[in-house]
Amino acid sequence: MKVTYNWLKDFVSIKLKPQALADKLTMAGLEVVSLEEKSGDWVFEIEITSNRPDWLSVIGIAREIAAITGSKLKAPDKTPFKAQKGKLADLKIEIHDKKDCYLYSAKIIEGVKVEASPEWLRKRLESIGCRSVNNIVDITNYILFTFGEPLHAFDLDKLAAGQIIVRRAKSNEKFSAIDGSEKTLNPEILVIADKNKALAAAGIMGGKDSEVGFATRNILLEAAVFNPIVMRRGRQKLGFSTESSYRFERGIDIEIVEPASIAAAALIQEIAGGNCRLAKSSGIPKLKKKSIALDISRMNSVLGTDISLLEAKRDLGNLGFQVKQKAAHNLSVTIPSHRADVNLEVDLIEEVARIFGYDRIPQSLPCVRTQVLLNPQRDFIDLVRQTLVGLGLNEAITYTLTDKSLLESFIGPDEPPAIEILNPLSQDQEILRPHLIPSLARCIAYNLNQKEEYINIFEISHVFSGDKASVKEGTFLGIGLCGSRAMLMRQGLVRDEVSLLHLKGILESLFMRVGIKDYAFSAINAQATAISIGKEPVGLMLKLRKAALDRLQIKNKDVFALELSLEKMFKHVNLDKTFQGLPRYPAIVRDTSIIVREGTAVKELLAAMQEKGQPLLRQARIVDYYQGQQIPPGTKSITISCLYRSDDKTLTEAEINPLHSAVCRVLTERFSAKMR
Amino acid sequence: MDINAVKTQISQEIGNIITPEKLEEFRVKYLGRKGVVTQLTGFIPSLPPEERASFGQQVNALKNQILSLISEKQNSFTSNIEERVESTDMDFPGIAQELGHLHPLTQVTSEICDIFIRLGFSVVEGPEVETEYNNFTGLNIPLEHPSRDVFDTFYLKTQEKLLLRSHTSPVQIRMMKAHKPPLAVVVPGRVYRPDAVDASHSFMFHQIEGFMVAEEIKFSDLKGVLGAFARAVFGEDIKMRFRPHFFPFTEPSAEVDISCIICKGKGCSVCGRKGWLEILGSGMIHPNVFKHVGYDPKKYTGFAFGMGVERIAMLKYGINDIRLFFENDLRFLKQF
Repeated sequence: MKVTYNWLKDFVSIKLKPQALADKLTMAGLEVVSLEEKSGDWVFEIEITSNRPDWLSVIGIAREIAAITGSKLKAPDKTPFKAQKGKLADLKIEIHDKKDCYLYSAKIIEGVKVEASPEWLRKRLESIGCRSVNNIVDITNYILFTFGEPLHAFDLDKLAAGQIIVRRAKSNEKFSAIDGSEKTLNPEILVIADKNKALAAAGIMGGKDSEVGFATRNILLEAAVFNPIVMRRGRQKLGFSTESSYRFERGIDIEIVEPASIAAAALIQEIAGGNCRLAKSSGIPKLKKKSIALDISRMNSVLGTDISLLEAKRDLGNLGFQVKQKAAHNLSVTIPSHRADVNLEVDLIEEVARIFGYDRIPQSLPCVRTQVLLNPQRDFIDLVRQTLVGLGLNEAITYTLTDKSLLESFIGPDEPPAIEILNPLSQDQEILRPHLIPSLARCIAYNLNQKEEYINIFEISHVFSGDKASVKEGTFLGIGLCGSRAMLMRQGLVRDEVSLLHLKGILESLFMRVGIKDYAFSAINAQATAISIGKEPVGLMLKLRKAALDRLQIKNKDVFALELSLEKMFKHVNLDKTFQGLPRYPAIVRDTSIIVREGTAVKELLAAMQEKGQPLLRQARIVDYYQGQQIPPGTKSITISCLYRSDDKTLTEAEINPLHSAVCRVLTERFSAKMR
Repeated sequence: MDINAVKTQISQEIGNIITPEKLEEFRVKYLGRKGVVTQLTGFIPSLPPEERASFGQQVNALKNQILSLISEKQNSFTSNIEERVESTDMDFPGIAQELGHLHPLTQVTSEICDIFIRLGFSVVEGPEVETEYNNFTGLNIPLEHPSRDVFDTFYLKTQEKLLLRSHTSPVQIRMMKAHKPPLAVVVPGRVYRPDAVDASHSFMFHQIEGFMVAEEIKFSDLKGVLGAFARAVFGEDIKMRFRPHFFPFTEPSAEVDISCIICKGKGCSVCGRKGWLEILGSGMIHPNVFKHVGYDPKKYTGFAFGMGVERIAMLKYGINDIRLFFENDLRFLKQF
């Protein structure tokens, strides 16, 4: 809403300078977003909240200025209007549904001279960015901005005689709007019509056919109140908003309609001449004024203030409320018609607080013992984040909404369809993602384009699945790796090319950190490995397929990624710790290198060694492995380090050698291993 | 054996020793179990009684001399080693694994939540797919009303009445329905609005919602709590102002500005020459919201506030484009 300093001064005396006034308005809830000097006047641009349609007018803002500066509002003339001649029967106003149109007031003015507006009017409208058209149209706009009541002038001679009909549009009814566009209407849109056709999209836009032009001699001046919801739907259907529709949607003060209409008619006669021959209204509703009780002690306890009853009474009075004192701490407040937003005691409390000044309300700290709501799952997720960052990974945040085609290049045809968005703005927002990996892969592609050589990212986010009626949301961890990490060591530059084993290593560290032991990685196929904890599948890790890489234009690079359910993982978390005594006697280590067939389950092999070597064999672990030309094809070479230790004594070679031989025999006998 | 001859031999030999290994050989030769000093001591019983005492003293003196020569030599080795350490060229890069980085939005979210935890709040989260009721109706936002325009919303195609939450406030409804007052909660999370993406708009962003409900919670408490928050995040000197505003779910409502952290309130391009930066919306929870969750609005009062995490991160770090948060350029992420 734009308004000028001088325009406001027509309705309230202002002693403050424009900038000081702007600050006052901002602190009273009318945020001045810009203040600009323009041809000898000052233009205020004010952001008006949707609850205060009364501020969408110069008079409304003047009323507020009167209240915050303690001066008086110069109210517009309310003397009843006398039409000079003519019979009321000359015009029939027919409202099909009173719920669509609460009030329709029409004035017929004959013999006007349509011409350019006088300079003062043109300049005033142009200062707030409203284009001058002609004197009649400009006057309706001037009254709209002054009173907040949208008016419309029809060329009376273009109307089929003597009738205004307020009705819903027919299906596919055609209408040529004042801006020259052709509109196809439907019954959601309210129109003003004569008996032949729609003349205007009621409250939104006038029609080309009944437009007031320089040839116009006689006019019909409309001032009405339309149903806000009907206006809102109509505006959405037509796809555009106007100064009129904006105000109708927010609600019009029914008591301002007649004064606005009178002021417009008077101004038309003054500027464009002519005689108002007829004034007629239809559908004037009975107004019930509401009264609300305000308890001053309740008000002060809600605000944390000590405002006196007299101060509250004065401020509410200045805002146009009628206030009566009922008891020592109680006021009865009658709500004026322009304040439909005030319905409860708290609404009055806000009014008093606004005028008192939010900046004068003290600061305090609440004295409450609140409940402590523990959130162990969130703590766990924080720990996961910290651990991954400690392992060198970088956290990404990618969009939860994504495009179908990206997803399709990642998943198999048997996956259930993803949840679709009804009103996406673009293809990138078509679906709620059921997986994290595609988004992470896209992020890797982006960074490869920036010439990054090593990309190691993770994200923790919700993923979505569901059926026709409901949606399941799960919190997932996704990790993506690509490229090679270069580390400058004393022996030179060491390049470490990422692989599935890097993903495995990250997960093993993570599982260890949160006390998960019974996890397993089992290959599904050459590219994908299932992750499970305690037999429950929790996720998947894989090398991205070519289709996915092609979709993202990733060339000559392998990408490895995993995703797993943090909710499922959380069930297995065990952060309890029990101290294990340190060994008192030294251990003996024996390394053994073997060659086994590819596909030999090393995990089982190690378990068999452990079993055989009990209780002295404390640990059997892989310290080296090799696959390549130096050993027969179809085999792999592994070096296993065995650590033997007793809790009671220092072991001797004589005790260990036969035991280690027995352990190694398990390898040759049960796993057909060859010693190297 | 002539002690003086031994002494001469010792001083010659020790001078030639240049390695710790040779020094150890030297020690074994003279002080070892079968070493020279032991042999000399072995002579004592065979000497005439009157010579024994003085010979014994000479052997002891010799032993002490050898010990001090060895320790001297030892020190010279050690100081040589130290010199070698100093010769490492510290211009070469250090060797360590690079640390990872938390996303700046995660860092700002944690920082903000931690402040409220210290003020007695608990952190909870809620689903991103919400019901129309929790997102709108329960929060006193009528379905067909201009107040909804600022909450343009993504709806799901086939799941009726489900939508992507357009703010974190629906968690107020969930929490209040599940718990009785007193209650103090902060809710971080992703929210969605169908806004065209540009330098300052994103269709997905993050909010932190907070609310406190008890008997006798006052507007002044809201000012006090948010004041403590602003000082903790932006520094002790920060100024704060509360402006009347409108939110359907609070009454009275306030928008909160902080003095511009760039120009300190003088007016600059970041604050649009106003000297103030809007950082959050707040107010006293509307009695209609209490009615929806089954709280008695006569007995309980409460305040609520909500802020955009991207906005605060952008101000705090001087980031000028919201899209950077979601591009995840490693050169961006590694700055935080």
